[in-house]
Amino acid sequence: MKTLWQRLKPIRLRLLALLAVVGPGIITANVDNDAGGITTYSVAGAHYGYSLLWIMPLVALALIIIQEMSARLGVFTGKGLADLIRESMGVRITAIILSLLVFVNLTNTISEFAGVAASMEVFGVSKYISVPIAAVLVWVLIIRADYKLVERIFLVASAMYLAYAASGILAHPDWGEVAREAVRPRFSFEAGYVTLAVTVVGTTIAPWMQFYQQASTVDKGLKPSDYPYERIDVIVGAVFAVIIAAFIMIACAATLFAAGQRIETAKDAALALRPLAGPYASTLFALGLLNASLFSAAILPLSTAYTVCEAFGWESGVSRQFKEAPIFFSIYTVLIVVGALVILFPLRSLVQTMLISQTLNGILLPIILIVMLKLVNDKRLMRQHVNGRVLNIISWVIVIALIGLTVILVLTSLFPALSGGATGLPPLNTMM
Amino acid sequence: MAYLSDLIGRLVTDIDGERVGRLKDILACIQGQMPHPEVVAIVVERPGGDLIIPLGEVAVLTAPVIPLLKHLKDITPYEPGEHDLFLGGEVLDKQIIDTNGVRVVRVNDLELARVDNRFYVLNVDIGGAGLLRRLGLGKMAQRIAVRRGKEPPPGVIAWHDVELLPGDQAMRLKVPSEKIAELHPADLAEIISDLSRTESSKLLDSLDVKMLADTLEEVEPDFQASLIESMPDEKVADLLEEMAPDEAADLLAELPQDRSQELLKLMEHDDAEDVMRLLAYPEDTAGGIMTTEYVTVSPELTAEQAIAQLRATAHEAETIFYVYVTDNEGRLVGVFSLRELVMAKPETKVSEFMHRRIVSVDLRDSQTEVARVIAKYNLLAVPVVDDQNRLQGIVTADDALDKIIPTAWKKRLPRMYH
Repeated sequence: MKTLWQRLKPIRLRLLALLAVVGPGIITANVDNDAGGITTYSVAGAHYGYSLLWIMPLVALALIIIQEMSARLGVFTGKGLADLIRESMGVRITAIILSLLVFVNLTNTISEFAGVAASMEVFGVSKYISVPIAAVLVWVLIIRADYKLVERIFLVASAMYLAYAASGILAHPDWGEVAREAVRPRFSFEAGYVTLAVTVVGTTIAPWMQFYQQASTVDKGLKPSDYPYERIDVIVGAVFAVIIAAFIMIACAATLFAAGQRIETAKDAALALRPLAGPYASTLFALGLLNASLFSAAILPLSTAYTVCEAFGWESGVSRQFKEAPIFFSIYTVLIVVGALVILFPLRSLVQTMLISQTLNGILLPIILIVMLKLVNDKRLMRQHVNGRVLNIISWVIVIALIGLTVILVLTSLFPALSGGATGLPPLNTMM
Repeated sequence: MAYLSDLIGRLVTDIDGERVGRLKDILACIQGQMPHPEVVAIVVERPGGDLIIPLGEVAVLTAPVIPLLKHLKDITPYEPGEHDLFLGGEVLDKQIIDTNGVRVVRVNDLELARVDNRFYVLNVDIGGAGLLRRLGLGKMAQRIAVRRGKEPPPGVIAWHDVELLPGDQAMRLKVPSEKIAELHPADLAEIISDLSRTESSKLLDSLDVKMLADTLEEVEPDFQASLIESMPDEKVADLLEEMAPDEAADLLAELPQDRSQELLKLMEHDDAEDVMRLLAYPEDTAGGIMTTEYVTVSPELTAEQAIAQLRATAHEAETIFYVYVTDNEGRLVGVFSLRELVMAKPETKVSEFMHRRIVSVDLRDSQTEVARVIAKYNLLAVPVVDDQNRLQGIVTADDALDKIIPTAWKKRLPRMYH
């Protein structure tokens, strides 16, 4: 007679296999809820209540489909996305995509440091203290400490994202209304609403995510036999990220929107939550923002430097000397230093820079998706693991929708009168 | 001299100047008399499908418009053989191993040279100049070089210093090439740490067990464990037999219990026993880092007999610079150096020239303590004894220091994402 423990063995083994594989998808999704994302979701909730909630399930679907393709590319080719682009499309396309990526990631890094500044200001710490400390911390931590350790710390800390769920619950939303709004599409053509919708999509599905997740899938050495588990990892990660995003919206909608209070930054949201939802909600909100900003500020510059060096065959690696890997260290350091300096010395043209960044983000994403679709449908690379027809159709619908959204974004940024002023570009305000 | 990237995309015409298509790729044979691959055919992209034309039918390969010697219908297409390499498809933009510089680099361009009317792949361009040229900025690269008043940095490596990665083409690298086989295991380990998992396991698969064991001994146990994860058990068992018992024990300690038990069963009895004994000690103690492959002699032997015994038994020993003297019970009673043995008169008894004051460490001493003892007494190795002073193993200086000062590339091994 088998004991229960023995009977459970197959299930236990499967669970262990899943745990060993878990990581790339969940980590990527966690980094995704960064300072820019949190600001956007807060402003969306504060300005439009639950009325933008309905796009979140669609965003989750798009995110799952895109990230699943990148994981599949990583598992079945054993190569990073930058590698594959370089090997299949040559130097020019690689150079164009990667220079866009570096620029977009620079502006993302800027907003991460803005997030550090904003969250610490909630606790009364000046940005002139918090930002330099954060920059040095991030630089030293990654260069001098074991990356594995750093990642584990952040992963544990990312449980802090549950802080947003807690903030949302503390805000006592009307759950019936939340449920109704989550499935009821609303088409408003008010410029601010449209732009904010575009920004929510753009900040949740960001171009760096495909590079980062695929590289980490490859680096983890996942084999084709691990793929079913990796797919679970991707889906769980994407759903988790979008649920957290929805909770941020709900927290701000239930309190700020209901009270008629308008905000411009995540810091405003944290401060404004205090009288409405109690001091805990406010503190949790700020801590979540700090963790998100630090996590992303640590990962973005490093992953950018790795991606670029990989594609061009330059020496990379954090334990090399500067002389051995000058380009790697330059990219990494410049991203952090510039990212932090911009926050300390706000330039007049900052809004302009962030505007360009949002637009480039929107332009880069469809390009990367098209490239990915080409790669994932390449029989020589993927053999029988190419996309099915249904998946291809859905993917192309997503690509076309994203291009459409980008066109809208470009039009509204070129003709700001259409969007009714600055309300349409909330992440920019993190900087101010 | 011509660059592959310049040639690709050029128009190809037949003998009458009629357009045939565009040059898509160039085929070179890697098995000729020359160490450099010889160009044998060109691939022409046509609306109806690619056409491979033997180089013999091409009038001038390096012309701005490449003319053929015949009409299209008179040309027999070339059949690629197993030693033919698609330079554009399999080499350009791919990663390769620079065996001279011991690193993994990416191919930015290939330099073709004409010798006696044949074309050979001369050099591989891995530098920034090659990148700029591919971006259409070749003139700028030259201008920068001129302004700096010096030649552009070399950025090229000769083909004979290049080893291709296994990649998608299955047949190559099944046998390790001489270039790889000649690398020092430490260098090979460094290359492996630069590669992705898929590529590194393909490269490891191409090595023989001996080379594989030497290479694995150069990397940290947790990285070793991930490298052998997907190898079949029989191969890993052979590998463990080949490795020094202390290294094998370290590796087994990193594996899941089920698998390490399975592997121990597959190993030959003697080797498995040595390893199991070592596994019993915590990793960070003298017992955990010692090796059981040392040489002992009896105090009754003469110097001549001792040398004869070393010749017969010391093949596997990690070091023979120190010879340990044990009594019938296995207790450590003396030690002498190889130098003392060689200098002694052949008929002198070991007990007469051995040292009786022996520096040793206990099985449970920490590795830091072991390293301290080795440093303090300037030893090459230190014997490890149990409570009854019975010799259990030795710790060599490199193993003791290894745990305290990891080599530079060992530090790099923790990879980025996990």
